[in-house]
Parts: sequence; structure tokens; C-alpha cells
Amino acid sequence: MNVQLESPPETAILEIAPDTVKLAIKDLNFFYGAKQALFDVNVSFAANAVTALIGPSGCGKSTLLRTMNRMYSLYPGQKASGQILLDGEDVLSPRANVAAVRARIGMVFQKPTPFPMSIFDNVAYGVRLYEKLSKADMANRVEEALRRAALWDEVKDKLKESGLGLSGGQQQRLCVARGIAVKPEVLLLDEPASALDPISTARLEETIADLKSEYTVVIVTHNMGQAARLSDHTGFMYLGTLVEFGETEQVFTNPVTARARDYITGRFG
Amino acid sequence: MSVTVDVPVAVPAAPPRSARGTGWDRAFEILCFSAATLLLTALGGLVISLVIGGWPALSKFGFAFFTSAEWDPVQEVYGAAGAIVGTVVSAGLALLLALPLAFGIAIFLVELCPPILRRTIGTAVELLAGIPSIVYGMWGLFVFAPWFAKHVQMPMMMSAKPGSLWEKLTAGIPNGAGIFTASVILAIMILPFIAATMRELLMTIPATVRESAYGLGSTTFEVIRNVSLPYVRTGAIGAVMLGLGRALGETMAVTFVIGNAHGFPTSLFSPGSTIASTIANEFTEATGELHLAALISLGLVLFVITFTVLALARLLIGRQQNL
Repeated sequence: MNVQLESPPETAILEIAPDTVKLAIKDLNFFYGAKQALFDVNVSFAANAVTALIGPSGCGKSTLLRTMNRMYSLYPGQKASGQILLDGEDVLSPRANVAAVRARIGMVFQKPTPFPMSIFDNVAYGVRLYEKLSKADMANRVEEALRRAALWDEVKDKLKESGLGLSGGQQQRLCVARGIAVKPEVLLLDEPASALDPISTARLEETIADLKSEYTVVIVTHNMGQAARLSDHTGFMYLGTLVEFGETEQVFTNPVTARARDYITGRFG
Repeated sequence: MSVTVDVPVAVPAAPPRSARGTGWDRAFEILCFSAATLLLTALGGLVISLVIGGWPALSKFGFAFFTSAEWDPVQEVYGAAGAIVGTVVSAGLALLLALPLAFGIAIFLVELCPPILRRTIGTAVELLAGIPSIVYGMWGLFVFAPWFAKHVQMPMMMSAKPGSLWEKLTAGIPNGAGIFTASVILAIMILPFIAATMRELLMTIPATVRESAYGLGSTTFEVIRNVSLPYVRTGAIGAVMLGLGRALGETMAVTFVIGNAHGFPTSLFSPGSTIASTIANEFTEATGELHLAALISLGLVLFVITFTVLALARLLIGRQQNL
């Protein structure tokens, strides 16, 4: 039997119920100088959920992440047009207070980036910027963050030692702790486990799964298994375009677009 | 069924690895070792010859050589305190003047500067570092000192209330040649060195570390103060100390503008002398044995001061690394 199916759509973007939207991206275009890196991205991220962004290298996943907390505006040649609404407030607006936006939208990078200070101060650093806490409160906040990042037991006896002395996996979890200590509303993770060993990766994944009860998490990953395990929604990007976005299970088991299907089944990537 | 296993016999024997190149390696080690030893020997020889050459003065005046400021070649009385104080004060002031400027330049170039300006200012800094010290000295004496006397020194003296500390600090002949002028020239000389080194250091900070700090909601100032500067702390201390070392030993430019008067400097603008300027001024006329010995002893003192500064830098760096 030979049934001719109608040809699959070019893009398929799931609309998320408006009352659950935390971060909404509208008509986003992004340029590195003259080179356009993102094309008309329209997507929403749900609160208290993990959204994974997948796609081949150079497809714009990390770029999309860097627009959300205005990280790109540190560099003169990079510009974005469109809107990124955090609780309805436009992050890209020239009137937006960039530092305040970044305090609400935390970010963890691919490689660990501990600051040249003690483990305690690394975690307390961001908190001190926006809150005046008593010594005891600060100690509690730091401990809580380190516990959630699954690092507390390993560092509780050496909080005064330099953060640079930890192993790579520990440093990365330190950076996660630093990111969640400030209690951001959104946490952006840019391939946070790519430099980690399997045990540290497993710990980090547990942490992320635990975090979504309070935060909106967006994670860029090359690890398909990780995306499938962790996320509620998955977006597939290709050449600067968001090709498919939907429930993770649907995207992985029954992708609608041809490109997503090819990528997920391993035809290219 | 029997299986025959061919044991390869004709494999060409690998060259014995343990033997390969050991002779060369040994020679290389010895070469490097002798290079290092040669340096150490030269240093040791230098110190010993300074002590021997300066001994007549050191033994005659004893400890007073370091505490007395009387330097009188006619009476053959030599005390180094004036030159020591002049050296330390002029170099210290120079560092005080240069540091904020150098850090400002470096931070501006790395963190804030629009790309078009970056090249221009960066090149200017490097050019400034390449100017020979005698040019600074000449410019200081013929251009800067008169201007400074007329437009800075005079107004400052006139504004001082009689009897105030300010009056004491600004007292002196308003001819522009003095400790403070020397400090300004020294500051201009060490500024490009510190700025260029700081710039290189700041550029070694990974972009993601800075972005992480920005990502937590820091302002530019907070990123620089809390993350960038601590990140390069060790190197920065080294750069500053090397700058200070250069200021301590600088001869030509200082000799031009410091006024070359023996004894303690009494105010910011009073003429004074440094160890290096005294040696440069007097070595041609040092005919008496004691005079020459006194100058060599001065050299020894300068050596010890510079060495102490570098040792302190080492100590500081070591302590920072243990954090």
C-alpha cells in the first residue's frame, strides 16, 4: 500500500498557553555585524519548566540564549531587533535596565567561570550586588545554593579556599550555585555539562530537574539524551531559524518537520 | 588442526630508546644550568665588588653613612640619607601619580574603548614607552619645569596660608626644578610601562568570566573592581613593582630636573637629589679615593633598595596566590 502523505511543514511551533508563559520572544532577528544569525524567531518559554534547545553547531542556539539576557550588548557590533518579553516587559528595549535584567535572568556557561575569590564569595558575589543580608542569612543562602547545586558536601569544610582550586566539575557546579544563589527567575544554561565527566553530569542533571520547581530553565545542549531526559519542551534550530518547537516527547518521538526528523534520527548533525 | 603462529623474527630492531639523545639532553641541561649559574655568579660578583669598592667610605663613616644627610666632597664628609630619601620619595610619588592613570588607561582600552580609538591610544602608549629617558629629561628641564613653576608652583605657594602644613609642603624657589617635578617626569616615564602591562593582563581574562559577572547583574564598574582586577592581581603587583624599580633607578631624566642639591628635601618643590643622579653628577669629578668609595657605596644602597622592592613584590605575590 502506498499512501502519499502531504508534505511535512517547513516549521512547526507550538503555542504555549498564555498564562504559563514566562519569557516570550517575538520576531527576533539578530546580527553579528552584517551577518544575520537569527531569523524571525517566535517562541515562548513556559514558567517552571525546562526548555531544551537543540540543533547542529552554529545553528544559533547559543546566540538565542545570549539575546535573552542582553549579553550581546557588551559587544558593539552585535544587535538584535524584535521583542523579548519577560513577564510582558521588553528586555531588548533601550530603556530596559540591563544589569537588573541580568539579575533576573541568570546564565551558566559551557566552561566553568569561577571568579578569583573564595568558594563562599563566589556564591555570595551576586547576592551582595542586590541584597543586604546579615552574616547568618548570607551563610544560609550560600549553603542552600551549594546544596541545590550538589556541591555542599564536597566544599563545606573549605569555603574559604579559592574557587579556582576546585576540579572542573566542581567549578561548574559552583557556577550553577552562584547562578541560583541570586534567585533569578529564569536560568539560561549554555551546554553546562559539555566539559563534565559522567558523574558530574548526572549530578548536574538532577540539580536542573530539581530547579524547575522554582525557575524557568532554558538549556542549550548537544546531548540528545540529556534534552530528552530533562526537558518539558524542546526547540530544534537550524541555520538561525527555529524549525520545530513542541512537547519534548512529541519532538523526539514524532517530529513534524523533515529537518527535525532528520536531525533527531541522526541523518545529519 | 594445528595452528601455526608466525613469530616475526625479522622485525627491524627499534633503536634503543633509553639511549637515544641522552647525550644531547645532558649537554642541553648543562648549558641551561651554566647560563643560570653565570647570571648568579655575575650578580654575586657585582655585590662583592660594590662592597669592596665602597668599603673605605662604609668603614670610615659606619652607620652614619646611611643616617647623615651631609654630603660634602670638600670636607670629605659623606652621608647618603639625603639621596636615599630623595630616591624613595621621588619614586614613591611617581608611582602614586602614575598608578591611577595607568590603570585608567588600561581599563579604558580593554573594557570601554570604541574599537577605532583603541588602536590610536594603544599605539600612543607604546610610543611613550619608547622615548629615551634623556629626551624626557631635556623636555622636563626646558619645557615642563618653567611651565610648572609659573602655572602650578607659584599659584600653590601664593595660596598657602602662612604657618600651615601646606605652606611647608609648597615652600622653595619657584624655578620648577625639584623633587615633585622629578616625580612627574618619572610618572610619565613609568606610566606607559604599567599601562601596557596592565592592558595585556586584562586581555588575558576569558570573555566568559567577564560575561558571568555581567550575567549576575553587575555594572561595568563592579565587574572591573570585583572580577577583572582581582583576576590579574598577581601580574598587576609585578607590573607595579617593576615600574617602581624603574623609577628608583632612573638616572638621566631625574638628573635634569631634580635640582641636584644635597641634603634632605624640605618640601615638595625643594631641589634634592637621588642616588642615581648623585652618581651621574659626580663620578667624573670623584678624584679622591673616599669620594669614589662613597659613590660606589651609594650604588650598593640603590642595589639593596631595588632588591628589597622586588623581594617585597615576590612576597606579596606569594601571599596572594595562597588565598
